[in-house]
Amino acid sequence: MPLPIRDRRRLAQAETRCEGGSDSSTDCQAEKRLRRRGRSLLTWQAAVWAGGSLVLILGTLALVFFTGSPPTETATLPPVAATDITYGPAGAPVVVVEYADFQCESCARFAPMLASLRANYGDRVQFVFRFFPLAYHQYGMVSAQVAYAAHLQGKFWEMHDLLYERQKQWAGAADAYPYFEAYAKSLGLDMSRFRKDVNAQTTKDFITTQEAEGSKGGVSHTPWFTVNGTTLVPNDIGDFEALIDAGL
Amino acid sequence: MDRRQRIVRVALVVLALAGFLISFYLTITHYRHLVPPCYVTSGCESVLTSRYATILGVPLSLIGTVFFVVMFYLGIALITGPPKKVMRAYELLAFAGVLAAVVLFLLQAVVLKAYCSYCLGTEVIALSIWAGSLVVASSGDGGAIDEAGSPPQQ
Repeated sequence: MPLPIRDRRRLAQAETRCEGGSDSSTDCQAEKRLRRRGRSLLTWQAAVWAGGSLVLILGTLALVFFTGSPPTETATLPPVAATDITYGPAGAPVVVVEYADFQCESCARFAPMLASLRANYGDRVQFVFRFFPLAYHQYGMVSAQVAYAAHLQGKFWEMHDLLYERQKQWAGAADAYPYFEAYAKSLGLDMSRFRKDVNAQTTKDFITTQEAEGSKGGVSHTPWFTVNGTTLVPNDIGDFEALIDAGL
Repeated sequence: MDRRQRIVRVALVVLALAGFLISFYLTITHYRHLVPPCYVTSGCESVLTSRYATILGVPLSLIGTVFFVVMFYLGIALITGPPKKVMRAYELLAFAGVLAAVVLFLLQAVVLKAYCSYCLGTEVIALSIWAGSLVVASSGDGGAIDEAGSPPQQ
């Protein structure tokens, strides 16, 4: 930025008077001071612009590189128990744990990836599903109860996939329960037992216990994944595969 | 320019930077097809995947990113001493920003009935920038400050 007009005028007058004159005159000294001042001002302004731009560029790069990248913190979640809902062999060298809510859209996006992983690694990796229904999801709890009731009849993963595939259908409904019943029927469940299990206190207790243990272990959002105890914030299926392959 | 004005103008730059970081993060998640996780205390995924999250295919977060970059550099111009036109542009953009923030807040509160913490953050920042722009406008000087932070001496 240029010097203020009054200073520029003084500088011009001083330059005129100093032409061929003595360096020691008052005006010539003033001219030097103004020149120094102008240079200093320009340097300071350039530093502010450059510094601001640098901060902006560094922030941009940090976000580009670190968004969605997996952290390496170790979760303090309960170990796999006999009561856990699992897929794959017990004692497998790699255990993938997921805390999820069936009404969570992000969980639904990851569901096909997990299905693909179960298909490809299901003989060598143990997949564990734990309930983490979010309070602000209208059907978060009841959909978990439905899935647990299906689990009691050995159809958890089938119901799991159905609930995520058709999430938009039931999550936006005024009453989602008829959809859940229809899914249960399509899976060939014993409907009287299903209805009883959905509303059983033991079902609700199982879900709330898993949710409480997850919260205590640091789960703050869904889906929350760990692979052999290491928390994973994946971008895509490749992030899972890299950790799984490293563990096999 | 007095000390209060300098502090306000620096704060405006910092606010614009914070707004940029939040908006740019959301833009990255949009283009990488990431759905932000469902947080325990928020409904951000409902808001960010709603039909109001884009305008003609352009994510609002990208518009917000551009807005905050412009406000960031205009804010720096306010610190280094802007011409009156820059100050006027800053005031107008800050006002446009707060109007957009109010509309987006109402969409969350009335239509979607879900709140996105990231969006609320940028809305509070837009509101703060507008408030700061009023303080800057009240100074009415628009002049430069020198390296020592004091007006040029005669």
